[in-house]
Amino acid sequence: MNYGEGVLRRQRLGLMLGAGGLLLALGLNLSLGARWIAPDTLVGALYEFDPDQLDHFLLWFQRIPRALIAIYTGAMMACAGVVLQSLMRNPLTSPATLGVNAGATLLVVLGAALWPQLLSPENLVAQGITALAGGVFGAVLALTVARLAGMAQDPRGFSLILAGALVAMLLSGVTQAILLSDPQRRSDLLGWASGNINHVYADRLAAFWWIGVICCGVLLLLSRSLNLILLGADKASSTGVNVPLVSRVAMLVSVFAAASAVAVCGPVGFIGLVVPHIARPLLGAAVGPLLLGSTLIGAGLCLMADLTARMAFQPYTLHTGVVMDLLGGLFFVAIIRQHYLSGRAGRLT
Amino acid sequence: MVLELCNVSVSYGKNLCVRDVSHRFSDGRFTALVGPNGCGKSTLLRALMGLLPMQQGEARLDQRPVSTIGRRSLARRVAYLPQDNHCPDYMTLGELIELSSFSRSRLMRGPSASDRQIFRDALETVGLLDMAHRPLNTLSGGQRQRAWIAMVLAQDADLILMDEPVNHLDIAYQYSVLNLVARLTRQKGKTVICVLHDLNLTASFADEVVLMRDGGIEAAGPVRETITVGNVTKTFGMEAEIFDRNGRLVCLPYPTELTA
Repeated sequence: MNYGEGVLRRQRLGLMLGAGGLLLALGLNLSLGARWIAPDTLVGALYEFDPDQLDHFLLWFQRIPRALIAIYTGAMMACAGVVLQSLMRNPLTSPATLGVNAGATLLVVLGAALWPQLLSPENLVAQGITALAGGVFGAVLALTVARLAGMAQDPRGFSLILAGALVAMLLSGVTQAILLSDPQRRSDLLGWASGNINHVYADRLAAFWWIGVICCGVLLLLSRSLNLILLGADKASSTGVNVPLVSRVAMLVSVFAAASAVAVCGPVGFIGLVVPHIARPLLGAAVGPLLLGSTLIGAGLCLMADLTARMAFQPYTLHTGVVMDLLGGLFFVAIIRQHYLSGRAGRLT
Repeated sequence: MVLELCNVSVSYGKNLCVRDVSHRFSDGRFTALVGPNGCGKSTLLRALMGLLPMQQGEARLDQRPVSTIGRRSLARRVAYLPQDNHCPDYMTLGELIELSSFSRSRLMRGPSASDRQIFRDALETVGLLDMAHRPLNTLSGGQRQRAWIAMVLAQDADLILMDEPVNHLDIAYQYSVLNLVARLTRQKGKTVICVLHDLNLTASFADEVVLMRDGGIEAAGPVRETITVGNVTKTFGMEAEIFDRNGRLVCLPYPTELTA
């Protein structure tokens, strides 16, 4: 019996490629920067920390925390993207297009307007919790709008995409209004308007990483049911999947995973949208391997974006979220072209 | 496996699509559900699978109300092929077939040896064994339809419900697919209920036929006794000639003006 082996081989190869890419991106991210850190110093610092060496200090207190945040953000956004796209069976679904990012930004900005202490460094975790709540709020709002718009009659999730876009625009509008009303503090809040990976946010990562681990675990457990949901709700249901329950749990868990990443470093868009499209040709459609592979690819991509943000305009550092938006915008065009404008488009609608 | 409908009514929103239908489907036979568009055939199948709530009445599987059977154990007894099926990008035929064993599978375990044999048999039955490694999107329309049928077979249920399985197929595939379905009942003792549109295909392959109109059953019974000029006229509102040619029943409808 050989019908599964080709798939398994491809999945193994894809996962190895993803892991290799992640390691390479991590090495580059840690070594390159305003100061070059040679690989042997890198390994030495990882092996034994010497507080008297500047390089060791830089690594342990700046680059490694920064890299860990990038890995977490990339992995969570990618995971959430895979699951949301599978659930909606729509290639344009992602945490950002579902209002998670806009909701988180709004709540933090609103919180800071009402309680200025929120932005002080000792309240990092409170900022994170506000963002987490905001992310979930954005997604719930988008889902409610979609439901009012008749999502039930729309199996391909187009109403949800439109509702998400609408909610994101509305929430960003309110955010902008608050920012404009308080010009002095606008620069403090800019980190929350576009995602910014920075080593000072390591406390928030330390506070929230477990959310991501639990979310990934739950999504992996649901992966077989999610595979069947790819075939449509009727088919999945008649094959034994509790479609309403699995859909709700998977939706909630992936929104939580994405919101926890936003809570660590602000809204980093597009990873959730783009990574599943990179991972699928490598790993195939099965959700389990796709989740693992996307985690690796998302983390690697986020590390590279972070590196670009640090290196592109030295000595100035861009917000990683800005780089992501630029890269993602280009990719978005490619996705639209592939799925909606090419000869394959007919299969989607 | 005996499926019985007792006074079943199903509504879609405010429209009552199936009205007070009672019928006993014969065990181990191929029954065709035939009727005009929108007469409630597909709605009836979906309600049977628990995908739509029944307004009234109940369906019984071997005396037991279907609504009391859990989703997973229902999936082990009844397989369903929806009218429209979605092929996910990059999914291979082999992966699709493996998904059919969900109701028998345990968490974090791959398919058992006996499941693998079932998958293999299903692919062999539809003649796609050598295509298992191919992505679904690279298969032709006919191959894809047979892939869906293989998935239904691999679910290894005794009762199979199919909603227009020969849609989008050319006549050669229509005949070969239905021949395959008919063989399932004759050789493997499966009970098949299948929505069809073509009375000639129905007459060629089905054992029994249920003619539906406006959400109710117009006539039901063995094919030769049920496909009559009177019943066809009543069900479809059009004239037809029905005759025997070399032992096969042929239904030749006469063109009429569309009314209403």
